[in-house]
Amino acid sequence: MSLPAPDANNHETVVEHQFGPRAAAYLTSAVHAQGEDLNQLVAIARTRPAARLLDLGCGGGHVGFSVAPHVAEVVAYDLSAAMLDQVAQAARQRGLGNLTTRRGAAEQLPFEDQSFDLVFSRYSAHHWQDVPAALREARRVLRPTGRLVIDDVVAPERPLLDTHLQAFELLRDPSHVRNYSVSQWQALLSTAGFEPDGVMRRRLFLDFASWVERMQTAAVHVAAIRSLQIEVSAEVKAHFDIQADGSFTIDTAVVEASPH
Amino acid sequence: MTDTKSDPGSNVDPKLLEILVCPLTKGPLRYDPAAGELISDRAGLAYPIRDGIPIMLVDEARPLDSDPITDALPPR
Repeated sequence: MSLPAPDANNHETVVEHQFGPRAAAYLTSAVHAQGEDLNQLVAIARTRPAARLLDLGCGGGHVGFSVAPHVAEVVAYDLSAAMLDQVAQAARQRGLGNLTTRRGAAEQLPFEDQSFDLVFSRYSAHHWQDVPAALREARRVLRPTGRLVIDDVVAPERPLLDTHLQAFELLRDPSHVRNYSVSQWQALLSTAGFEPDGVMRRRLFLDFASWVERMQTAAVHVAAIRSLQIEVSAEVKAHFDIQADGSFTIDTAVVEASPH
Repeated sequence: MTDTKSDPGSNVDPKLLEILVCPLTKGPLRYDPAAGELISDRAGLAYPIRDGIPIMLVDEARPLDSDPITDALPPR
């Protein structure tokens, strides 16, 4: 059973169509609600108790919920109305009075120049259509003493492995744009006026059944991913540690940068 | 259809609008409490506020020379 097609097929509509009905799944997903990377973001936020922080592409809101008790103000920003409704409701339930929600695109931020001390973005950048534009905007809204932290699934540097990652990400999620490698992130950040000054790499285990269920991936796409997993080379199987049930392990990174 | 309309008269904390600008022009916004919209005079656009969340998308903004009721949303 495939989902009804969106009315208009621009990228933003595909993203909204993909994530709107799944908002609740992201609020409760353990992969998203927990993690060492999230602890790292909280540790960075705690060093700046007076900060105004932008959670760029907040999704289910986990960065915002985690850092709100430790900073002065959090703005949770996302393209998806359904996600933001959930975030606003959950923030009220948790008594997070310093978290507000704004809806818009990463590439066109509706904030004044130098209005944030911290810009955090977790598991979002792979949906952005124009990463250079989004990074220029992040640079613009950050104070000179500010800090940008990008936390996302990263592509392996080897094309063989990179291609496999992009293929199964797209099959799982039609709104997938691209996962970048750490070296690509460093180049993108430098071009946008940042000095990349910290990288923490991690590996993330993904349980296949919940990974496709969260996205309600079409059965034909699930079958295609499983078929790919079986037919790929030993190098690919080894890198992603592909299990008999389809579960696998991907690379993530937290990349920190400060304005030039 | 209440979920797709702006909510006139809803409480918008002026402090929360202080860093908000037009995403197109980066110019100032003024709040129109009667329409529940954020007006960018420079862009000639009105951004709706739905369920207390400002919608800062140019595609969903209302051109200022259009009717606020019928043209509040692009056709879907």
